[in-house]
Formats: sequence, structure tokens, C-alpha cells
Amino acid sequence: MLRPSAFLFTVAAALLLSAAPAAAQEPAAKPAQGSPAKDNPAKDTAAKDTAAKDTAAKDSPLVSTEWLEKNLDAKNLRIVEVSVEPGVFERGHIPNAQNVAWHTDLVETVSRDIAGPEKFTALARRLGIDRDTTVVLYGDNNNWFAAWGAWVFAQYGLTDTVKLLDGGRKKWEAEKRPLDTRTAEVPASTFTAQAPSGKLRARFADVLAVAKKERDEQILDIRSPDEFSGKIIAPAGIQELAIRAGHIPGSVNIPWAKAVNPDGTLKSKEELKALYAAAGIDGSKPIITSCRIGERSSHSWFVLSRILGYDARNYDGSWTEYGNAVGVPVVNLAGTVWGGK
Amino acid sequence: MSRYDALAEPIGSVGFAAKPARRLSGAGVVPALSRPAPVPASRGLPLRATIAALVAAGLAAGAWRLSGEAGGTRLALSLVFGALFGLVLQRSRFCFYCQWRDFLVLGDPRGMLGILAALATGIAGYAVVLGAWMPDPSGTRLAPDAHIGPVGPVLVLAGLSFGAGMALSGSCISAHLYRLGEGSPMAPFALLGTGLGFGLGFLTWNPLYLASLSEAPVLWLPRHLGYAGTLGLSLALIAALAWPLLRRLPAPQPASRPDPLHAAFVARWPVWLGGLAVGAIGTLSYLRVGPLGVTAEIGGRTRQAAGALGLLPERLEGLDTFRGCATAVREALLTPNGLFVGGLVLAAFAAALVAGQFRPAWPKPGQVVRGLSGGLLLGWGAMTGLGCSVGTLLSGIMAGAVSGWVFGAAMFAGAAATLWLGRRAGVLS
Repeated sequence: MLRPSAFLFTVAAALLLSAAPAAAQEPAAKPAQGSPAKDNPAKDTAAKDTAAKDTAAKDSPLVSTEWLEKNLDAKNLRIVEVSVEPGVFERGHIPNAQNVAWHTDLVETVSRDIAGPEKFTALARRLGIDRDTTVVLYGDNNNWFAAWGAWVFAQYGLTDTVKLLDGGRKKWEAEKRPLDTRTAEVPASTFTAQAPSGKLRARFADVLAVAKKERDEQILDIRSPDEFSGKIIAPAGIQELAIRAGHIPGSVNIPWAKAVNPDGTLKSKEELKALYAAAGIDGSKPIITSCRIGERSSHSWFVLSRILGYDARNYDGSWTEYGNAVGVPVVNLAGTVWGGK
Repeated sequence: MSRYDALAEPIGSVGFAAKPARRLSGAGVVPALSRPAPVPASRGLPLRATIAALVAAGLAAGAWRLSGEAGGTRLALSLVFGALFGLVLQRSRFCFYCQWRDFLVLGDPRGMLGILAALATGIAGYAVVLGAWMPDPSGTRLAPDAHIGPVGPVLVLAGLSFGAGMALSGSCISAHLYRLGEGSPMAPFALLGTGLGFGLGFLTWNPLYLASLSEAPVLWLPRHLGYAGTLGLSLALIAALAWPLLRRLPAPQPASRPDPLHAAFVARWPVWLGGLAVGAIGTLSYLRVGPLGVTAEIGGRTRQAAGALGLLPERLEGLDTFRGCATAVREALLTPNGLFVGGLVLAAFAAALVAGQFRPAWPKPGQVVRGLSGGLLLGWGAMTGLGCSVGTLLSGIMAGAVSGWVFGAAMFAGAAATLWLGRRAGVLS
């Protein structure tokens, strides 16, 4: 009596599921045909001279999705996903990738700071990263948090070996490249972190000195125009606010997204150079990147520092520190001045 | 059908039949909830089957369309899972309260065994998934987006309220949703009450958070016992709960060979079969989209509306840091949970239509009152407990959350107490 109903349930379920092409279109479902046709001719040549490609990747701070798919099993390569949305990594990540939680692994959770040397040592060892390991970081949200990861790694001396996947998760998924749900197992490394270098990080005093024109540096504020002008304090739905709206005096506004193509990849070096030069940032002076909490600005830090080779530091205190500070100069273009209703 | 009739005698297992049940109709037996007299399944069948097929085709077309859009895979899958869930709930009458009441009042344990079957299947399924996602659960991290909530007096209160709401309004939120598809006159009012209950929950959230929730521990069994230990303990608990139920099983019916189409689309499925399907859908949904839950959309939309009307506290302390049926304010028109609930209702409607169980009726005043007041308790309980019988109980227990067990115990206790009192007072049957 039960067998027919069980059977029919299966049939009904199968019908409903097959009617929805979602399952069939999922990247994980079709790994073989995943890569776009235009990539196929390149495959043979690439297989022949992987060594040459390796050197190519070594020189650039970016790797392409195509390169990464061909090098997934490379020996001295570690792939690390830094996504902010929970469950994204687990439901499908680039094969052999390992997970880093931005909220807990890359920051201190009680005080506001980047992960300390002990925490970072444990993290790097778990990920199997040594000083000579090539690390490819990628993530959701246009690599924002992956770029934050690159900035933290750089402060612990892992700079040139750390690359971003150009286009991040978004492009990998859009190209229907394979995803995996299993956890990669890598041998632990023996990396030991020293105290982080302060050269890549701007502190409140540095920014204040620039705001008061005591130091000849440039501040690049990458928030939205409405945040920059002071019309709003933070984007809708954001909990971490500041007491005042506006921006640090002397800063220029180029929203981070202007550095990105529609497919999530970064614009060409020439385009990027022109973009920043139009706002007077040409690398002739040291640059400080800033946003609300310092994570979107690490995206622009990566562009300026690693792609264009400019002298750039990221100000992770950003507006949630500066806009809350007492007695500092503020520019508010929108005229949203403090006061009772 | 005859099986149900045989059970419609008040057997009374836990003293619930101490007082003769109030007779609802001239039938002389206590009819189980939502088992109206069967209409001939063949009447108007071609028309009903055509409409049902159109609904199914519409759902499939919707999923197809969504899956073609960038980032639409989750939305399409949510719609499909919701439709499957609705089909299973409607066909197997997978309703927490009805099965609990069948046991308490009629002494039929099979529905409760079906719920335990869902839990056992889901626990095993989650263990397989979680073992791959988080090989080492012993750290400080919780399983990604699993419904693992804070355990404390507030959770017990939420469960009691939810249980009382079930008894008053006749079922839990997920069952009201599939009954909406059956044309139930009570369901719309219960769901409206649920929305109001969520609003009430938002208003009482801050004091409860500050007084108790902020200090309530978030207990995840695998962190302490590992996956094998959790699996062993959970299944042992389920076996212990099933043991007394199994001893009350009615005498087996003589085997018959029913028409398979009738068995699938007209006769109710045995609840255990629905339970196995719920466990499987729960696991697959967790693997691909997220834990099962039906209140995130209701809660999120209520929060949005109440916020727009200025009825909400400025901040809901700590709410968005907890796991569960997140009530984060909706930004998009289509959300995974919204599509899940929509698919559920539509598939239940199609299934009920074919089975001859779609029977819309005008609500009676009593149903309006009971629906609204029961819904209010359901909504408050689901908001405060960070989910309902699906989100907190099913998805929580499957994931190894202590909160799922505590909410479940409180919920069934609250429903039993309300039913007992209601029957004493002659208000509930």
C-alpha cells in the first residue's frame, strides 16, 4: 500500500525538480562544459607551458579565473575564500579553496583591531601558508573582504605572493566554472608572524595631520557620494554609525566601484591611472584610503598599492572613528548640521 | 478512509477524554481536525486536475524564469523546495498540532511518529552535510546559518505561547499556510494574527533581550559531543520518545492494493512518509539554500511595515546577531523565503484541489476570534523564539541545536495544557 505512494512521490518530486532548470544550471552540476568556448583553444597551450604561466602569475597581483581553473592543483598554491555572507563558502567554493571568516579570523573580536600576531600565525599555519606560498584570495561582494584579507596579509609580510582572483566569486560563478562543497585538506605550515608592519596602515593621528594640513598627503574617500557629502551618515540598514556626517577635510571622493568593470574585474592599469589622476591622485604624494569601516577602502588600497604601485596606506578607523572623534575638523557639504528637531 | 473512521473513537490516552468530548456534529464521534466528510473524489475532477496542472506548470515556469537570471539559482530553488514542502504537508497532513491532538484525544500515535521520522531523517541528513562543511565543530564557530538559538526562560515562554496559539487557532504557522491552500476559513485570520503577533514580539524584544536573552547560552551539541555523539544522542532521544508511541499503535489494517494514483493524489499519505520527505527536503534545502523555515518572510515584512509606520523601537538590540528565522528588513521584492512560502501555498492548493480537499468556506465569528487570538500567540512565540515549529523545532533539532528541543518541549506542553483547559471550558474540541 505504501510502495505506490512512495514511488509516486518520487516521480512527483523528480518532475518538479526537472521542470526547474535551477539544479541543472548550477555551476557545480556541470564542471566539464563550464568554461566559455573562447577559452578552449588556450587550454592546450596552457597545459604545455604551465611554468611560463606560473611566472606570469608571479608578476601580477591579479590572477584570472581561467588561470586559476588550470592551476587548481598546483603544489605551492593556496586558494582562500574570504566572503562576508555566511554559508556561501560551504554551499559551493572553488575546488581546493579554504575558508576564512572575515568576522572572526582576520580581526580581533573584542577590541577593534586587525588579527594580532598570534591569531594570524595560527590562521596562516592552518591554511598551510609559508612565505614562499602563492596565495589566491577571492570572495563575494566584489572581493571587498578578500582585499581586506590581502591588506592584513601584507601587514604580516605576505605581500607579493598574495593575489586577488580578478572578478572574484561573481565572475567565477557567472562563467559557470566548477564549485566544490568538500573541504580541502592541506598540511599545516610553520609560518610565524612578527609584529605587523605599520607602513600600510594609516592611524587617526596621520589622518588628522593631513586634515590640518600639517602633512602633505592625499586622502581618498571611496564611500558613496551621499555619504561623502554628508547627506547620509551610512548606507541604509547599517548599524555602525558616526555622530557627525561628512568627510575628512582635504579628501577626494572616488567611489570604489569606479575601479571595477561590470563583470567584477578591475579596470585596466591605464584606465585606473586616468581615473585617479582626474581627481589629482597620481602617486606623487603618499595616499591614505578611507571609507566607513575600512573594508571597502582596502579594495581601493589594493588597486593603488598593488596594481598601480603607489605609496598607499589604508585607514581602517575610517569614518566610524573620525566621524566620532571630538574636536576634529569636518567638511559637510550637504549642510546636515547637528541639532535638535 | 476506513482507517480514519476506525480511529474516530475517543480513546483518550492522557486523561484527555476524562470529560466526554463535546459533540460537534450529529455524527456521534469526535472528528479529527480538518478531516471533513469526504466528497466523491471524481466530482469535477477534469476541471480540478486541469487547474492543478496549470498551477504546477506556473510554478515550474516561475522557477525556470528565476533560474535564468543572474544570481537567481537560490530563488528558483527556494520556490521548488517550497512547492515540494507544500505538496508533502498537504498530502500527509503534516501538522504538528493535529498530530499531537490525535494522540492526546484520539490516542492515535501515528502522526507523532511521523514527526519523529522527519526529525530522525533530518538529523542524519544534517550530520552528513555538516561533517563535510565543518570537519571540526569544536571551535567557537557555529554551523553556517543553521538555526541554533539562545536557550533560556524566554525560549520556554516562546514555546508555550506558540503551543497555546496552535491549540487556539487549530494548527501551527506552516499548517495554516498549507491550509490556506485548502481554502480554510480560519487560516487567513490566523496568519493575520501571526503578523500582529510578530509586531507585538518586536515591541517586547528589547526588555526580554536585556533581561535574559543577552546572557542565554547558544548551545550546539556537536561542539561538545562531536557529530557522532550528537547523532547518537539525538537518535536515542527520538527512540525513547517513539517507544511509548509504538506500543499504542492501532492494529494493522489488512493489506490492500489501492490504485496508485488514488494513493498519491487523493488519499492522505501516511504521516511517516511525509516525515521522511520533510527530513529529506530539510537536508537538501540546508545543503543548497538554507534551513527550512516559514516565518522569516512574515517577520521581515511585518518589521518593514511596522518600521515604516514608526511603530518599532529605534533599535532591536542584538536581534540581528542571533541565528534563526532572520527578520532582517526586506530590500528586494522577491526573497528566498517569500518564494518558499508562496510555492508552499500554491502547491498545497493544487494538491488539495486534485484530492477534493479544497473546500473554501465563509468564516464564522468564532473562527475569526480564535484565528486572530491564536495567531497573535503564534506570532509572538515565533518572533521571540526566533522561528516556529519548522524553523526552530525541525531545523534546530536537525542541526543539533538544544534550542530546538527546548522549544519543541515547551510548544507541545503549551498546546496540551491549552487543549486540556479549552476542553474543560468547552471552548476547544
